[in-house]
Amino acid sequence: MLTIPQVMALVDGTILTMQLTLIGITAGIVLGVLLALGRISKSRILNGITWVYVWAFRGTPLLMQLFIIVYAVPLFTLDLFGFPLRLPILAAAAVAYSLNSAAYLAEIIRAGIQSIDKGQMEASKALGMSYYQAMFKIIIPQAYRRLIPPVGNELIMLLKDTSLVASIGLFDVLRTTSQMTNATGKAFYYIYAAIIYLFFTTIIQVVFDKVEKKYSIYD
Amino acid sequence: MIKLENVYKSFGDLEVLKDINLEVKSGEVVCVIGPSGSGKSTMLRCLNQLERITSGKIYIDGELADEREMGKDLKEIPPEKVQELCTELGMVFQRFNLFPHLTVLENITIAPKIVRKKQESEIKKIALDLLKLVGLEDKKDEYPSRLSGGQQQRVAIARALAMQPKIMLFDEPTSALDPELVGEVLEVMKKLAKDGMTMIVVTHEMGFAKEVGTRVIFMDEGRIIEEGDPKVIFDSPKEDRTKSFLKKIL
Repeated sequence: MLTIPQVMALVDGTILTMQLTLIGITAGIVLGVLLALGRISKSRILNGITWVYVWAFRGTPLLMQLFIIVYAVPLFTLDLFGFPLRLPILAAAAVAYSLNSAAYLAEIIRAGIQSIDKGQMEASKALGMSYYQAMFKIIIPQAYRRLIPPVGNELIMLLKDTSLVASIGLFDVLRTTSQMTNATGKAFYYIYAAIIYLFFTTIIQVVFDKVEKKYSIYD
Repeated sequence: MIKLENVYKSFGDLEVLKDINLEVKSGEVVCVIGPSGSGKSTMLRCLNQLERITSGKIYIDGELADEREMGKDLKEIPPEKVQELCTELGMVFQRFNLFPHLTVLENITIAPKIVRKKQESEIKKIALDLLKLVGLEDKKDEYPSRLSGGQQQRVAIARALAMQPKIMLFDEPTSALDPELVGEVLEVMKKLAKDGMTMIVVTHEMGFAKEVGTRVIFMDEGRIIEEGDPKVIFDSPKEDRTKSFLKKIL
């Protein structure tokens, strides 16, 4: 069984995991919508910038992005500007997860928007709506339902990928349990980690299924 | 009301409108007929700026809405002005294009609400009156997917009318409908015509053109070949191309 300090450590690890996941998905969706609008915009500059962003963040390992934001950015900024741009490690990790998930979500959202029939934008324009009115009142609300499964997917991936923060010195669920195993020589602590991950992924799966059903009323 | 002067439209190398000149006066019901690919729909879509003309001039309600030469803007007309002029035009599409995530009532009220920024109660009253006009008051809280094609198209007509346009454009409004549903949509359009609405109707319904049209335009290969009184066009067309088209479809 677990001792009280071990329980406390697991709770702390769970809180850290949840913090990174929730910040990552929320900031990722907001930034992802903006990036998606850039990807489908007619402006070549916006198009180019957002293309490069997605290319860079999808094309390199998340662990490397964590290292760069946590360790390399302070060193670069020290060299360039004479002072290190250094965030607390947890905040820096949250930034890395947000930027990374934004790249994946941008592609999900872009595909969702583009899957909506062109006639919807034409009808909106014919009624006098501006591009952004049509986008936010007509197109994106219809894309929601199609976005629910892939966004749920991304959220589960993100939750599991937070275990990478072990390598930048943070104690998440997984690192906490592996430390207990190292200290005691007993491997069953990993089962606690598995239970905690499965508990949250189950919630995500059930909630997303429900939401998807709720949005199906108009189909 | 509406005037097109020397309008050309190309998609790449393909010229779909060639030197179109057309004037539509208040209260007219102009029916545009012709084989598919003749540019009828493109002409409507150019009027409300869903497509940009390559060259020529478009006047809406007496004001210049677009003037181009070889694809370039000759006169910069502010986009707000163009948008305002375009709201004088209501458009009904072949495939209805209702907003599936909104109820019938919301479909009708959304544009007046966010574009015209009118009061909720006033908009709702107008919307309910329009639903009565198209005979669908009892469907106001349904989603479009629960309606038949004919009902959807009638809602689409009400939605366009809710912006209180001066001219209604119909782009093959009955072509996507099952034959038994065509009549109910045409009935609504006849009612509008009787009430004095100015209309441009791209259609394959020759019966409607004959009965309701004040003028018929025959288009082929991007040009207006012949135009005139429906009786004259249908009974004694002058041009060979009009004759052979009418022979095929009547």
